[in-house]
Amino acid sequence: MRSMTAKLVRHAQGRNLALVVVSPYLALIAIMAVLPEAIAPYDPLAIDASNILAPPTSTHLLGTDEIGRDILSRIIYGARVSLGVALAAVAVACLLGVPLGVATSYLGGRLENAIMRAVDVFVSLPEIFVAIVVLAFLGGDLPTLVFTIGLLYFPQFAKVAHGMTASIRSREHVLAAVSLGAGPVWIIWREILPNMRSVIIVQASFTLSFAMLLEAGLSFLGLGVTPPQPSWGQMVGTLKDYLFTNPWPVVFPSLALFLTILAVNILGDWLQDRLNPELGG
Amino acid sequence: MVKFLGRRLAASAFMIAIAATIVFFSVHLLPGDPVLILLGEQGAADAEVVARLRAQLNLDAPLYQQYLDWLGGLFSGDLGKSLQTGLPVAEEVLRRIPRSLELIVAGLAFAILLGIPMGVVAARRRAAPAGLAVSAVAVAGFSAPVFVTGILLVIVFSLWLGILPSSGYVAFGADPLGHLAAGLMPALTIGINFMGVVTRMTRASLTEVLRRDFVRAARARGLSHRAAIRRHALPNALVPVVAILGVRAGNLLGGTVIIESLFDWPGLSSLLVSACFARDYPMIQGALLAIFVLFAFISLVADLIQSFIDPRMRTGR
Repeated sequence: MRSMTAKLVRHAQGRNLALVVVSPYLALIAIMAVLPEAIAPYDPLAIDASNILAPPTSTHLLGTDEIGRDILSRIIYGARVSLGVALAAVAVACLLGVPLGVATSYLGGRLENAIMRAVDVFVSLPEIFVAIVVLAFLGGDLPTLVFTIGLLYFPQFAKVAHGMTASIRSREHVLAAVSLGAGPVWIIWREILPNMRSVIIVQASFTLSFAMLLEAGLSFLGLGVTPPQPSWGQMVGTLKDYLFTNPWPVVFPSLALFLTILAVNILGDWLQDRLNPELGG
Repeated sequence: MVKFLGRRLAASAFMIAIAATIVFFSVHLLPGDPVLILLGEQGAADAEVVARLRAQLNLDAPLYQQYLDWLGGLFSGDLGKSLQTGLPVAEEVLRRIPRSLELIVAGLAFAILLGIPMGVVAARRRAAPAGLAVSAVAVAGFSAPVFVTGILLVIVFSLWLGILPSSGYVAFGADPLGHLAAGLMPALTIGINFMGVVTRMTRASLTEVLRRDFVRAARARGLSHRAAIRRHALPNALVPVVAILGVRAGNLLGGTVIIESLFDWPGLSSLLVSACFARDYPMIQGALLAIFVLFAFISLVADLIQSFIDPRMRTGR
């Protein structure tokens, strides 16, 4: 036990401080997302009519919402939507964007230029407006939410993958492999994808925080998952109307969102420093 | 410079043209028939009424014809009429643009005035408590969803201190002070969020520039550390910061959606959201188009400022 503490302290003093602080928290959120039944004190939909908009008490540790549902239990169940939607959306974005970026680099010529120009336009467009229009019409079930957010972020992966492919292809060891007769498929599989892995991982971690922010914002506006299924952004959006009756309930889901996105950003910075120290300050 | 301006304006026009096309087709390809929504279940039972309204709204023409009509209307400043109110869309959109722009400009000013000095502190004292504290504030600033920042401000300034209104809009002409009081918290919310981005970019960019030879040369000539930063390092470090601000213009605009909704600020984004819920197609198109034009305008301004501080940009690559 003592040696473990000493080890932790030594880690904490070095560059891994961020990881030591952040990983237990993210692990907790992950457990909440995977096994909410195991830790939530109440059913997230159960109504306690004698406690409406209650402040934190011993029966309801974080208080209750406007119809008497337990805030803590709803936050625990909400982790699945808030984290799950963002993770799935990043997976969609990555699986669409990386192949597109790599393939475009092999197309060459005008087509490559045209595709990358289009990608540039989409990267800079304010994605939330597109998401609002799409979700207002299609409705916010989980798959729609995941694919809308995923489709909005895939051009970023395409851009990064395209840039990395171009630079890796001009490296000497790759040129050597090509001159020895290696075909594009072999080069992509054995040289390009392994070499861009770290950059893609960092990109994914930052996109994860953007996706969480986007999901939270859409749910806040009432365009995310359909109630009564809880998500943190949606809880804040509903409870903000009761701010002047009792500010407590709205604080906790806000805090959950803030801390989780902060943790993901810190993790992203740590990954960036660790995997690509040459990029970023 | 004129050549650069011309090329950049052409690029903006091209982007707006693409945006207009995307806006038109995306709104028309989405499911849901505006006529049936307008008439409700009872009205939709009468086929003749449906046909008449469809013709009235120009929805019976083929899609390409509608598209051409819409583009034609654009050039004469006609964006159609709102399905809800029957008033011209262009008028409503024009009324709301300055309200959104106002929040963005005020927020940006706050972000720059605070973010750049904070970035300098963070870069100069990377490992010292001051530098670490500044970096922590920056990460917290852009990690907090804008509505969380906004709600925190409301709790402090409206609920506890009771010195600022929690939401609402007051026209500047009617009550200038009331207007500023109502706009302060929304603008601050945008500012705090963006300050984090500015601080981090300044820190990263200045750290990189401080390693360059010309900074060491300036120090060797006898300039103080402070003067070397102000006169030589900082101007060079700010070029990528402005570039990032231009790229992030989309986020800046996107942030207004949540803020306008939270603070009941009647700007462009809240127009878009309410039009979406009401299925007011002409209004959705008009609001989206105005948002993309505003976006193109902000990126254009960022590029112009960048070319002003970095002469290399004017000559082109």
